Amino acid sequence: MSKKKYAIVLDDSKCIDCKACTLACKMENNVPTGLYNYRIWVAEKPVRGHFPNIKRSFQPSQCQQCENPPCVHVCPTKASYQTEDGVVLVDHDKCILCKYCMTACPYDARYESSNVHAIDKCTFCYHRLPEGREPACVETCPPKVRVFGDLNDPNSEVSKLLVEHETFTLKPEKGTKPKLYYIR
Amino acid sequence: MSLSKAKLSRRKFLTLSGAALATATAASSLSSLKAVASSGTHSATTNSKGRKFVYSSCAICVNKCGLVAEVNNGVIRKLNPNPHFFKSRAMLCARGNAGAKVPYDPDRLKKPLIRVGERGEGKFKEVSWEEAYNYIAENVLKVIKKYENRSAIGFASTEGFQEEFFIHLANIVGSTNTVRHPTLCLASNIQGYSSVYGTYPDADILNADFVVMAGSNRAEAIITPDTIDMAKNHKKQTLVCIDPRATKTSAIADKWYPIKPGTDLALVLTMINIIISENLYDKEFVEKYTHGFAELAEHVKQYTAEWAEKECEIPASEIYWLAREFAKNAPQSVWYPGRRSSFYANDVYYRRACAILNAIVGAFDRKGGLVPKRGIKLKKHDFEFPLYDFTKKRLDAGALPFLDEKLPEEFKASAGLPTDSCAYISEKDGSWIVYRDAALAGNPYPLKGMFIYKQNPVESVPNRKKTVEFLKQMDFVCTIDVTMSDTAFYSDVVLPESTYLERWDPAESLGGIVPIVVTRQPVIDPLFDTKSMHQITVDLAKKFYDMPEFWEDSTEEDREYLKKYIKAVDVPMEHLVEESLSGYPGAFKMLMEKGVFYLNDKPVYGNLLKEGTRLKTRTGKIELYNVKYAERGLDPLPVYRKPSQGKPGQFRFVVGRHGQFTHASTQNNIYLLESYGDYENALWINSKVALERGLRAGDKVKVVSKAGEQIVKVMPTEFIRPDIVYYVHGFGRLSKGLSLVYNKGASEAAILYDYVETISGNACLHETFVDIQKV
Ligand code: SF4
Ligand code: SF4
Ligand code: SF4
Ligand code: SF4
Repeated sequence: MSKKKYAIVLDDSKCIDCKACTLACKMENNVPTGLYNYRIWVAEKPVRGHFPNIKRSFQPSQCQQCENPPCVHVCPTKASYQTEDGVVLVDHDKCILCKYCMTACPYDARYESSNVHAIDKCTFCYHRLPEGREPACVETCPPKVRVFGDLNDPNSEVSKLLVEHETFTLKPEKGTKPKLYYIR
Repeated sequence: MSLSKAKLSRRKFLTLSGAALATATAASSLSSLKAVASSGTHSATTNSKGRKFVYSSCAICVNKCGLVAEVNNGVIRKLNPNPHFFKSRAMLCARGNAGAKVPYDPDRLKKPLIRVGERGEGKFKEVSWEEAYNYIAENVLKVIKKYENRSAIGFASTEGFQEEFFIHLANIVGSTNTVRHPTLCLASNIQGYSSVYGTYPDADILNADFVVMAGSNRAEAIITPDTIDMAKNHKKQTLVCIDPRATKTSAIADKWYPIKPGTDLALVLTMINIIISENLYDKEFVEKYTHGFAELAEHVKQYTAEWAEKECEIPASEIYWLAREFAKNAPQSVWYPGRRSSFYANDVYYRRACAILNAIVGAFDRKGGLVPKRGIKLKKHDFEFPLYDFTKKRLDAGALPFLDEKLPEEFKASAGLPTDSCAYISEKDGSWIVYRDAALAGNPYPLKGMFIYKQNPVESVPNRKKTVEFLKQMDFVCTIDVTMSDTAFYSDVVLPESTYLERWDPAESLGGIVPIVVTRQPVIDPLFDTKSMHQITVDLAKKFYDMPEFWEDSTEEDREYLKKYIKAVDVPMEHLVEESLSGYPGAFKMLMEKGVFYLNDKPVYGNLLKEGTRLKTRTGKIELYNVKYAERGLDPLPVYRKPSQGKPGQFRFVVGRHGQFTHASTQNNIYLLESYGDYENALWINSKVALERGLRAGDKVKVVSKAGEQIVKVMPTEFIRPDIVYYVHGFGRLSKGLSLVYNKGASEAAILYDYVETISGNACLHETFVDIQKV
């Protein structure tokens, strides 16, 4: 049985900063209210120039599901761990809120959840996958910025997108090997 | 790293408004919301155990996107998009997602209320439905008798599946004075496009190669499927955004022109001129389907690109490019008809010009152009409502002496606008501002009672002071809503409606290029002591039926009509849904199993271009030159007039949408408020101008207009022209029942001036100029 390797490919040029993804994730994953509580965010890329010579653009992102995850490496209780198929998760029961992982994560992808009293972050909606359902943010996005799938399956949409398009990852210099790929 | 630092660093991910201005702490009602939402125990009525998925449709805005609710032990866990629902392309926006918490909103109305303090003081007592109904019936009767006029009771509502029952209620009471939202929204658009095509078409964004969004911000003012098609297609189609603000639509556009506000008509007329004079128009189409081309060609000669450059502040070379590309890509070219169009006093002429532009390049009723909407005909009851002697014709019909004052100074004389009376699309819709001012003037007669459903005129009609006056001069106001809107706050009786997730709604056909039918079924049982508008109408109908005094200006026969009405509608809603679909075998089943019913999922083009088909215009053709307008002394061809200008130092205030909010109805949702990025709105002002005036981010300013003033914090930005200012709608509210936005930030209605475009009755929201003073 070949293992799966989940990834998300994003075409952020389509993003309209509607934040449907942020809200879908909050609802799906019991993320508490609060301006800084989220598993997924939409950043406005820095705007250069002055009126009227300006261009706006957005970059939605979430935990990069690093293949080489520093958050897992630093976790003293093994609350942060990697599944067989490469998804980085947090065992809320084991989390002692030491916040090492928050410091270690170069993407600022983690927050403290008052609902589960643990550090929390994107799980690729791992609980949805056995039911054959897509992650909530992928499913709800109006222009379908994200495509989710298995990199080990050459016929999957993500594999095809990676072949067809030039992509990049965020902060490659950190050596974390993100599994979020952005189409150039 | 300490937690507070970790939190701070997370700020960098927030969008501009949030990053610069986040201040307030979480809302006080949060803990109770959590308790309600997570325990699920309060819901004594919950009878369903386990997990289930229920099809329904969203009701947070007009789109009615299909949803599949995941319900756990009778509590909504999540609303997911319905993959079969192709009109919304299988998505739910932020608002649709946040809808999962709507039934559990601690600010919800939970029981009928009757006012006990002064009107607007916010003191109410909880009463039973029976008490509320008695109070309503008594007061309705009092008003009818006192003024010997059933039309002295007005009815205001906005679109929604249950609205038909509210309109029934107006018929039962015997009033002609219904007023709806179109004149705060798209009346001039419908009027303008219809005056050319006899219909108001949709834009086939999916198949268009060249799309111009002018004053229309589809990225933030989400309309399905247009928003999604636009964002998905933007790499393969050319998207041009024309807007004085760099909106989120401008972010995905190929070009953005920050046009001088109010000059769009100059641009469009110039494009028409270029296309005609360079022979780029579709000769065959023009000859076969249009009326008045020669007159148009002659008329537009005066509008040159060099002239328009100065008028619109867009380089002439760009205008040439735009005109040529528009023609080159036709018929897959769309000048997007927009939606909210209540902007300027010349709006109808502007919309006419847009329609004409599309017509001369043959981009009408063809793939990738403007395409007439189709619908699916549902079986509807033809009710006979009682007739009464005390019913008078509408108060905003006919000549109104004050109408001249409703036009901006520059548009009073020879502007091709009616100055004595005001038109509206239909008898049902009316013209909100004119309606209000007629009531305030008591001319032609007093309007002294008001029923308001699913609308919040206090925050949606310009010049809030006047709307509050309008409500205060009433003998009786009843509002039916889900939360204590500002309008409910100024009412005498407030009836709590069940939310869209707790009730059945009638089936409705959503017209479009590909029409569909949708309905709503309850996802959970109603929480609290709430009822649907359907039930409220039935209950009140019974009440009136039983009151002999109510029938003094009518006959026994008319009273019998009401009995028949009650018999027909006092049935479970699902029966009505099934009945309305009875013409289509299997339709009800499909609706229940897929959450949507359609006849086919492919667009049909060219229906109105078939041999022998007459359009609904006087000539039966596409009227470039409008015959009816000519007869009425209006301009048969759109004539450009300079927009009104403020005094030196003043700014034009522009309005605009945000993807998190539906008008003024969703700001009090903590999830949406937080995803907006701040707990209050802020004034967009050009950075350079802000610097000149010594204004920095977060400084407070007083924004003063002819209608009123508001205090708001400042957000200097490069995304806006130096001559205008803007803030998001829906803040600075009057109702203490909206705990998150009461008195937070600035209200738009409070400062918007209330001019009217008299061909359509539309409010002119962009005819407001403001002074800004640092406080
Ligand atoms: S849902 Fe999609 S379009 Fe909307 S903000 Fe998220 S990624 Fe962008
Ligand atoms: S993005 Fe951060 S939280 Fe996610 S796997 Fe990488 S290091 Fe860990
Ligand atoms: S994959 Fe799931 S958990 Fe991760 S951001 Fe998307 S919705 Fe949230
Ligand atoms: S666009 Fe959003 S708010 Fe409107 S109906 Fe669709 S999901 Fe609901």
